[in-house]
Amino acid sequence: MAYALPTRFPANRPRRRRLTISLTPLIDVVFILLVFFMLASSFLDWRSIRLESGQAGGATPGVVGALMVTISPDGLRLSGLGVTRDQLAGRLAPSLAEDPGRRIAIRPTGGVDMQRLVKLLDDLAVLGATNVVLMPGAR
Amino acid sequence: MRRLSSPARRRARLDDDRILPLINIVFLLLIFFMVVGRLSASDPFEIEPVHSLSAGAPALEAPLVTIGRGGALALDGEVMDETALITGISQAGATGLRIKVDQSVEAARVVALLNRLKAAGVGEVKLMTVPSIEGAL
Repeated sequence: MAYALPTRFPANRPRRRRLTISLTPLIDVVFILLVFFMLASSFLDWRSIRLESGQAGGATPGVVGALMVTISPDGLRLSGLGVTRDQLAGRLAPSLAEDPGRRIAIRPTGGVDMQRLVKLLDDLAVLGATNVVLMPGAR
Repeated sequence: MRRLSSPARRRARLDDDRILPLINIVFLLLIFFMVVGRLSASDPFEIEPVHSLSAGAPALEAPLVTIGRGGALALDGEVMDETALITGISQAGATGLRIKVDQSVEAARVVALLNRLKAAGVGEVKLMTVPSIEGAL
C-alpha cells in the first residue's frame, strides 16, 4: 500500500491534465478553414461548346451554299424568310438527315444576346447539325 | 484546492461533451467543401454564365478570355482592351482558347471578336457554359 500510492500518483496526474485541454482553439481553426473553403470553392459544373466563326464576304470555303439562319431580336429567319423555332427545326431536319455535315451559317444581328445565340446552337445540335458557323452580323 | 477544482473540471468536461457534436458537424462540412468544391481563380468581373444543353467535354487548359456584362475584356484574369488582348494571345502562341461570356453580352460583338481572333491565328475557340436547368429559360 505504502509502495503503491506514490506510483499511482504520478501516473494519474498527466492523464488528468490531458483531459483539461480546451477544444476552443481547435474549433477556431476548423471554423476558419471551413469559412475559407466555403468562400473559395466554386460548384459550377463547366462544360464547353466549340465555336466556329466564318469570315465576312463568304471568302471561307464552304460558306457558299450554306443554309443561312439570321437571328434578330424580332425572331429567326432562314434564308431571309421569317420562321418560328419549330418551323426552323422542321425545315432543317430533312436536309440534316440527308447530310449531317451540311453547313449552317448563323448571323446574329445587333440586340441579340449570347444566351439566345447559344439556345439556337443547342437547337441545331439537337437536330444533329455538326457544321455550324457564326457569321458577323450585317449592320 | 482539489475540492475547488474538481467540480470546475467536471463542468469543463460537460462543456466539451456538449461542444463535440458541433465539432463533428463542422468537420463534416469542412470535409464536404474540401472534396466537392473546386478551388479556382475568380473572374475579374461578375459573370452570369451562358446556359446550354450540350454536354461538351470540360474545357481544355488554354488561355481564358472573359467578356463581362458591359463588354469589358480580360485575358487570364487581367483586364485589358481588345488590341492588347489580341496581341497578348498571338504572343502566347496558343492555338486553343476558352471564352467565358456573360449571357447578356451581344452575340454580334462576340462573333466580331472571334473573327478578329481567328485572323490573329487562333484555331479552336471553346465557349464555357453551364448545364441549363430544364425549363429555366
